[in-house]
Amino acid sequence: MDRTDISKYYDEISQCNRCGFCQVACPIFRSTGHEAGVARGRLALLRAIIEGRLEWNQEVEEPLFDCLLCGACTANCFAAIPTSDLVIKARAQYLEKVGRKSIHRLLFDQLLPYPRRLHLAARAVALGKNTGITDLARALGLLKIFGRDFVHANEIVERFPTQAFRDQIKTGVHQGQGQSLRIGYFIGCGVDIITQDAGHATLRLLKKIGKTVNVLENCCCGLPAWSYGDLKAARKLAARNLSILVSEKFDVIVTDCSSCASFLKNYPQLFPEADKHHEKSQAVSARVKDMVQLIHTMQAYAPSSDSAVTVTYHHPCHATRGQGLAKEPDEILNRLPGVEYRPLLEADWCCGGAGSYGFSHYELSQQVLDRKMDNLKKTGANLLVTSCPACIMHLSYGVRKHGLNTKVCHISELVI
Amino acid sequence: MLSDELISNLRRIVGPSQVSVSRANTELYSYDASLAKGQPGVVVFPGNTGEAARIVKIVHQADIPFVPRGFGTNLSGGTVLVSGGVVICLSRLNRIIDISPQRRCAVLQPGVTNLELQDALAPLGFFYAPDPASQKVATLGGNVGENSGGPRCLKYGVTTNHVLGMEVILASGEVVRIGGAAYDPPGYDLRGVMVGSEGTMGIVTEVTVNILPLPEAIITLLVIYDDIADAARSVTDIISAGIVPTTLEMMDAPIIKAVEDSYACGYPRDAAAVLIIEVEGLPVGLQDQVAQISELCRKNQCRDIHEAKDDSERNRLWEGRRGAFGAVARIAPNYLVNDCTVPRTKLPEALSRVAAIVKKYNFEHGNVFHAGDGNLHPLIFFDSRDADQLKRVKKAGWEIMEACVGLGGTISGEHGVGLEKLDAMRMVFNEQDLSAQRALQQAFDPGKILNPGKVIPLSDKKENTLDLSPSGKIGASSTGIAAEAEIIDKIQHAASTGKALLPTGCGTLRHFGNLSNGTAEFLNSSELNEVIEFDPNNQVVTAGAGLALDRLQGELADKNQWLPIRPLFSIQSHSIGGVMALGACGPERMHYGAPRDLVLGLRFINGSGQKISTGGKVVKNVAGYDMTRLMIGSAGTLGLITEVTCRVTTIPERCTAISAEGSLAACAALAGKLITSQLSPVFVAAIPANKADAKIDNESWKLMTGFEGFEKIVAEQLKRTANMLEKDGLELKNQEEYPVQDGIFGDIYIELGQSAFVLRADVPLDEVAGFVEFFSSRLTDANMFVDFGCGRMLAGFEVMQDEVWRQICDLCDQRNGHVLMERAPVEFKKQNDVFGTARPEWQIMHRIKAALDPHTIFAPGRLPGKV
Ligand SMILES: Cc1cc2nc3c(=O)[nH]c(=O)nc-3n(C[C@H](O)[C@H](O)[C@H](O)COP(=O)(O)OP(=O)(O)OC[C@H]3O[C@@H](n4cnc5c(N)ncnc54)[C@H](O)[C@@H]3O)c2cc1C
Ligand code: SF4
Ligand code: SF4
Repeated sequence: MDRTDISKYYDEISQCNRCGFCQVACPIFRSTGHEAGVARGRLALLRAIIEGRLEWNQEVEEPLFDCLLCGACTANCFAAIPTSDLVIKARAQYLEKVGRKSIHRLLFDQLLPYPRRLHLAARAVALGKNTGITDLARALGLLKIFGRDFVHANEIVERFPTQAFRDQIKTGVHQGQGQSLRIGYFIGCGVDIITQDAGHATLRLLKKIGKTVNVLENCCCGLPAWSYGDLKAARKLAARNLSILVSEKFDVIVTDCSSCASFLKNYPQLFPEADKHHEKSQAVSARVKDMVQLIHTMQAYAPSSDSAVTVTYHHPCHATRGQGLAKEPDEILNRLPGVEYRPLLEADWCCGGAGSYGFSHYELSQQVLDRKMDNLKKTGANLLVTSCPACIMHLSYGVRKHGLNTKVCHISELVI
Repeated sequence: MLSDELISNLRRIVGPSQVSVSRANTELYSYDASLAKGQPGVVVFPGNTGEAARIVKIVHQADIPFVPRGFGTNLSGGTVLVSGGVVICLSRLNRIIDISPQRRCAVLQPGVTNLELQDALAPLGFFYAPDPASQKVATLGGNVGENSGGPRCLKYGVTTNHVLGMEVILASGEVVRIGGAAYDPPGYDLRGVMVGSEGTMGIVTEVTVNILPLPEAIITLLVIYDDIADAARSVTDIISAGIVPTTLEMMDAPIIKAVEDSYACGYPRDAAAVLIIEVEGLPVGLQDQVAQISELCRKNQCRDIHEAKDDSERNRLWEGRRGAFGAVARIAPNYLVNDCTVPRTKLPEALSRVAAIVKKYNFEHGNVFHAGDGNLHPLIFFDSRDADQLKRVKKAGWEIMEACVGLGGTISGEHGVGLEKLDAMRMVFNEQDLSAQRALQQAFDPGKILNPGKVIPLSDKKENTLDLSPSGKIGASSTGIAAEAEIIDKIQHAASTGKALLPTGCGTLRHFGNLSNGTAEFLNSSELNEVIEFDPNNQVVTAGAGLALDRLQGELADKNQWLPIRPLFSIQSHSIGGVMALGACGPERMHYGAPRDLVLGLRFINGSGQKISTGGKVVKNVAGYDMTRLMIGSAGTLGLITEVTCRVTTIPERCTAISAEGSLAACAALAGKLITSQLSPVFVAAIPANKADAKIDNESWKLMTGFEGFEKIVAEQLKRTANMLEKDGLELKNQEEYPVQDGIFGDIYIELGQSAFVLRADVPLDEVAGFVEFFSSRLTDANMFVDFGCGRMLAGFEVMQDEVWRQICDLCDQRNGHVLMERAPVEFKKQNDVFGTARPEWQIMHRIKAALDPHTIFAPGRLPGKV
């Protein structure tokens, strides 16, 4: 059993001196104005639990599970208290104490480790109308869009690819035009199942840059399970991936999902030093690159179209705070010919797409999304670019809901 | 205590998701940024004023305590309910309602954060002066609640100096508007009383604040020291030299290290202390100030002076300064922050005493504070999980407050009393002072349900009624004491016989107010006419209320200082007490502020013959309710002011006015441009140009703009103004130097003052011309003085029909202004209220009057509403 005990983190939790600075950019707090939704509040609850004033029960479920894990609080906290990490640990303990839903067991144990099963399940979700599957849809963190937008299922089904991306392009080694770089392409679940345009664009780019591109047989990176607090499932997924990623056949491991990239870079934290996977995870994480980083190093860019476009950029949480990739996208966009770049207000605020599983969070994530859309409207851009499939899905949903003409795409799609 | 019925009623008002009763929520709202802990019963989140008022109504009916809350970042326990009750959280009232550069004001809901306001203003070229370090997470409601300050307050003053009006829900659920965009409404300064009341007098649901044009240039200096005492002495020297930079902040070694560990902000890790000094204004003359400041810093052995080279470097320095409190979480889980203020000249001593106390209790500490205001923030590091540490740290905090009060300071400069400093209130106020403050609070909240147990400690019957407060000990001379004794006798006699008394100073302002029934005997302060204490280095003076303004100015002038007030009419022969009691000021108010902005504290004798002290002698002070502002402008209706302590300032090198002529519309348009420009005129006023011609027309007016300060800067401003005037087609007339104390309008006031009627009308800044047009169409032969800078019009005339008066009152009302007949014949007063149309806020004034002058002996008729 994978016991978690948040009292191990008592010192970190007690470091919060309640200055309240985290309130400034927590998207949940700014939507609700409720203390339960901000780092200071979440930490206060954990402290109260440790000090015996509160119990593990459903009262703490919402404050623990409506956190987007976006890290904006930590970025504004001078003590840099890692609230999202602590929340994940607390979720784990919550699941142990209060129990985890069978649907999550199915998801993390039976689907995410197996890309093909996942693909089938996702299709079933998209096509299915019975409530059991709707539940699963909601549980599928990455495929939130289905859960939320189920009334518009037809619209999504139309665009639902019948074949997984990986199956379309075939795994294994592809030859590229580059000089020497050997690339391992890690395909995240989002690109594999939904945002396949991004995948195609990325692959084309990778072939330009690399001598070889090895399309990997990886499974889910483990982030959804980790975020949910199922640390054991996350480690299992990570271990599966490590066995593939340690290979000497490539110099860098590239993914066009910023969430995956940030989590892969964090693999060493999943395994304590004594663990047999620890060393391996360090070697692997050192080689991981976000597609944004790769593009950033490219010498020449070809504009994606002849006519000039106005572009704005959404910084995914897992790119800015997760990996510190704050200025790279701006620099890329400023250098791109034929592109008028108009920065987005609060560009690094979470779009609301992350980690909300339940119905109760639907409203909340919509408020966060609405704020994003209001800022988007102010730019007047006709292209909203980002680097994370989960954001692409959620932002596309927002654009449709607000009746905007803006197209949402992955940065790979713009550059090629 | 909270019935199910109440909870379900609350849910009905705001919806189920906006009412929290769970155990978890009690935990979440048990704290703020202080060390205090409590336990609320229920938390409610209204979505608008209407919902909030309905909540208050039912909570009031059920007689349950409640507290308004913004973002809960206060440092005094202000939002912590000790034992049950309702937290009314205003985070959802977060709309910016209006920003009007022409009126130099903005209207906001209380849940808007200070930074959100700044961000909305900056693109328009404006800013809101108070800038607490917590600005990104401090709501304006909270700023109002605590009377927050910040680095810029050295130059611009704190929240109370920038709040013009508000909408308030009283304890009963009644919604009342107080003040507004037009300056200085008649009667008590209710907004002054509300600001800093820590949520114990009402819930602010909308606030109107004053905004200012962004400066043209800013220079930021980082001055580095190897010894903290040298840094402190530099601050003292800069203030003593009469230099007022925009900011004068200090951080010492432990803080610098914690900040740099968090983010690289550009502070030298090996410094013992740094000063962050900012000067701003027109580029010309700015380098002179920098040179002057640098010289003083070098004289005090600074190691290095570094000028921020661009905005990003400047922003990083400020980011670090603002994050200092948060950053110390790296050193220890908790900090106790003390908020004492001392006279600026006592800073070096205060810092060393603090260090000794902290050492005695075996703690470490760091200093990060508003040095220019003398507002200390020693942060003592500890771990609240250790009960012994918690006990010791509180003792250390207590001793620091004692030490600072001993140095002539006060217990809180900006963080408020809340729960944490309740007992310490007795260090600065005696039981009489406190009971006066209690009475004031109860005028707002008779049922004691609004944030109970805060600000004022429970009454202590044991303490005798002798005047023991530290402020009470500062003695007047023996004649002063005898005079006071006589006054007290008179008051006690009046109280027992029910006879009315009219406080006066030199007797020059007796005509003020409505008629009273029966005669009132004069109560005279003219024998209290000494300068009691003048600390020129600290730029603070305390004087007897009977001292004539010109005599005070004379004494100040010996040290090249002055009190920047030029009251209207017979200007300098007023007593200082009279000036304060009427809040009298001229058009210079736009630059120097009104008396309410200059007074730091005062003493008065109340209706029971007790001597009451308010405020203190330091430039920043939020200990207790703002009785000082209540007394200023109270026109003698609450007691006789005996002593006043004011901030004074260096005499400007040069005072010059520039005049031009044109139509009223052209003058108004140009005044509007000047007011929203980056120039800083001391006044922008106009008079009819053609006085020989009795009739006023709208075609020939004379616009007069004054500039005061350093020669170079005045010259530059005159030049730019002349350009503006010419460009706009006004006919440039003369430039005229004038004496600093008397100003330039003496003759105009004298003429005005001879009229049978003198009227003062205040409207929002951009409404003045329209109002003047209307007015001059009704009273064609009035003498007029138009103060564009303050949105004010004065007029003297001989005849006034009741019908016209009503029209004027109505018009002022419609334009969100107010009107006051400063002087009028008895016949007129018999028929009319000289304070114009009745307003709901007057009822609050009447309740205050009843609470503080229970025998109704003072100044009948001088309060709006014929009270
Ligand atoms: C790191 C840090 C730095 C700080 N720096 C400064 C500083 O430089 N200067 C400074 O002055 N303060 C400072 N503070 C203190 C604090 O931020 C201010 O007092 C701030 O104004 C509080 O705002 P809030 O929204 O958090 O108010 P709250 O804490 O929620 O409330 C403060 C008080 O106001 C009352 N109140 C709130 N809203 C209303 C309303 N609508 N109507 C009536 N009453 C209301 C409450 O009852 C309470 O008594 C700092 C605090 C922290 C944690
Ligand atoms: S910013 Fe950090 S220290 Fe401050 S309240 Fe939030 S989590 Fe606590
Ligand atoms: S991680 Fe994001 S949502 Fe969670 S508390 Fe921090 S800022 Fe709020």
